[in-house]
Amino acid sequence: MSTRSVPVSAYRIVAGILTFVLAVPGTILYLASYFWGAWLLAGACAAYLADRVLELGRPAFFSLVRSALRRSAMPAIGIVAALLLGAAIMLATGYNPLSSYKALFYGGLVRGWSVSVLNATPLLFTGLAVAFAFQGGFFNIGAQGQYFIGVMTATWIGLALKLPGIVEIPLIFVAAAFVGAATNAIPAILKVKTGAHEVVTTMMFAYAISTLSPVFIRAFGGDPSHSMHPYASDTLPEAAWLPTFKSFLPEANYRLHIGIILAIACAVLVRFILRSTSLGFKVRAVGNNPMAAKTQGISIPRITAASLLISGALAAAAGATQVLGLDHRMYQDLGAGYGWNGISIALLARNNPIAIIFTSLLWGLLDSGGRYMAMTTRTPNSIIEIVKSIILFLLLAEMLYQRIGLSLRAAFSRLRRGSDARTGIEKEIGS
Amino acid sequence: MSGFAAVLLAPQLLEATIRLSTPVTFAALAAVVCERSGITNIAMEGIMLVGAFFSAYVGWLTGNPWIGLLGGLVAGAAFSLLFAWATVSLHINHVVAGAIMNILAFGLTRYLMMVCYGRQGTSEAVPLTLDHYRLRVPLLSNIPYLGSAVFNQTPLVYLSLISVAALAWTFARTRFGLSLTASGEHPMALETLGRSVYRVRYQAVLLSGLLCGLAGAFLSIENSNSFTEGMTNGRGFIALAANIAGGWQPVGVFLASLFFGLVDAAQLRAQSIGLIHLPSEIFLVFPYIATIVAVAGLVRKSRPPAAVGKDFNVEGGGD
Repeated sequence: MSTRSVPVSAYRIVAGILTFVLAVPGTILYLASYFWGAWLLAGACAAYLADRVLELGRPAFFSLVRSALRRSAMPAIGIVAALLLGAAIMLATGYNPLSSYKALFYGGLVRGWSVSVLNATPLLFTGLAVAFAFQGGFFNIGAQGQYFIGVMTATWIGLALKLPGIVEIPLIFVAAAFVGAATNAIPAILKVKTGAHEVVTTMMFAYAISTLSPVFIRAFGGDPSHSMHPYASDTLPEAAWLPTFKSFLPEANYRLHIGIILAIACAVLVRFILRSTSLGFKVRAVGNNPMAAKTQGISIPRITAASLLISGALAAAAGATQVLGLDHRMYQDLGAGYGWNGISIALLARNNPIAIIFTSLLWGLLDSGGRYMAMTTRTPNSIIEIVKSIILFLLLAEMLYQRIGLSLRAAFSRLRRGSDARTGIEKEIGS
Repeated sequence: MSGFAAVLLAPQLLEATIRLSTPVTFAALAAVVCERSGITNIAMEGIMLVGAFFSAYVGWLTGNPWIGLLGGLVAGAAFSLLFAWATVSLHINHVVAGAIMNILAFGLTRYLMMVCYGRQGTSEAVPLTLDHYRLRVPLLSNIPYLGSAVFNQTPLVYLSLISVAALAWTFARTRFGLSLTASGEHPMALETLGRSVYRVRYQAVLLSGLLCGLAGAFLSIENSNSFTEGMTNGRGFIALAANIAGGWQPVGVFLASLFFGLVDAAQLRAQSIGLIHLPSEIFLVFPYIATIVAVAGLVRKSRPPAAVGKDFNVEGGGD
């Protein structure tokens, strides 16, 4: 064994490096609509799997694969079932589900892939925000409010400061995160001091902030004679814009910006915080069992505040990314719904930061595909909202599957027993 | 200061307070029923929205607001049964299920707007609203100041007042009220007595669906004449706050809802008479701020039902 262990670890190092080297450019290329990046991603997957085989040995690896397949069966079934239900609704209301879904997936995955990625960018941040609070046992239902705060902070600083981008962009992100966290400080303090439920307080803040946003827009709207004046702020100077993919990948869509890379990096960072730091451990401990956590000497007020503040900062980062990357100014309802959708994305990913990368892309895909569908077919794209909520419902209703499984099993055993009995009787008659 | 006094003492203000508190009262009563039975219901926003849509749609189709009201009630009840199925039978976390129901309600009403009216935003106006059936109570409406405000109202406003009394009586005097309370305080005890907790909770959610349907109908066919997307504007959550501030008691909740109605009425009046020259949005925020203050200030004064928000599974011995 000891003679073999040296080459195995050498292979593992090679496999690990190969995974990383293939995955990073593969991801960037694929996101930028260079679809051959998928081959690099496939190579990265192969290298990763080879690494796991070397690490675990074949039998353990295959049992792991089997359990992973079994675990992913339920989401797959849920998504397919939700699409079927959506098709049934479309049929019942007089739309053609086949052409609608064709347009949806063609629009989301091919034609409008860059739009899907653009949609997924803020969603990834807000999904992480909601998930982080969930991990601590809190429901940051008002992520929309902190998102708007991020939008406003980014617009304000972007318009007020005229610095080189390399200084200004990080500064804006830090400021937005700070202000977003500060917004959530009030619900956090109220929660700790008075026990006021965060569902009510963060929700009310979200409504209050989006109600007040026109005041902000008018304050930074510059020219009152301009037709857009009441609805949009001034445009940020170009120095404060996030770099686009086009600057290094000429065939990428001109609007696609590096925000998605920042968001994915953020997801990895959140995973690291939750899994490998003492803060993350405490947050998860409080989320799982506050009494046990308290017994262990974890300060519940402190962790409550920490998880809500970090959640607010992440949601505000979504707003900053949206302004700096895509819109470069603030609209009346800029990306309205990114905060609310963050809740769905976190729930769908079961608060797993890495899974959120995929669920936000799925949601982004459904959004952009839905828009394409509404453009090319008559089908209203609000059917997508219905399909989304059915997906959520079906994925969270574990009990439903247990029920169906149990009743199926019962039916089968009844059948078998029935046939056994019959054969028994037949035997008797025969004898 | 005299300006403020003029705003606060105007008889129209009391009338508007009672009228504007009506949807919150209905929804807050729904919250009381649900939470007393152990279900945390944040789906009220969505149920109200669905109720508002169907009231407006059926009212527009038939031309009769009373049939519209019935449509809203049926839709609210059906939607709430879905929520009950998710939380009671499928044991999904109440808050999570409520959030999903809200998302579904927003999507569904937007979709139905396209299917039924072929457009987005605001629906066709109903030919006749419930406001048409404004009822002036003969003698009582002659009381100075109070009479014109309280006894010259529209049907659902009276119904909300009756509902408060009826629910207060239900909780204080009836077996059903006792079962509801037991189901929220100690579900296993209720189950041991041979009454099904599931059944009680289904009934509670259904009742809350009917109340939210009334709230929705008030918004679309009594207080206005059409459905607007997202017209509930957070009232489901304000109602949740009213429920907490009112101490899970119908009468307390009614007073809390009146407070929210007052804030709403005051902001409308302050806006309309141009008392303070501020952007109108500042006034619109008042109800939300008032909600936060009320929840934060009053939550400690009362105790929620012991088992609220907790899943109850008969097969798992109550856990």
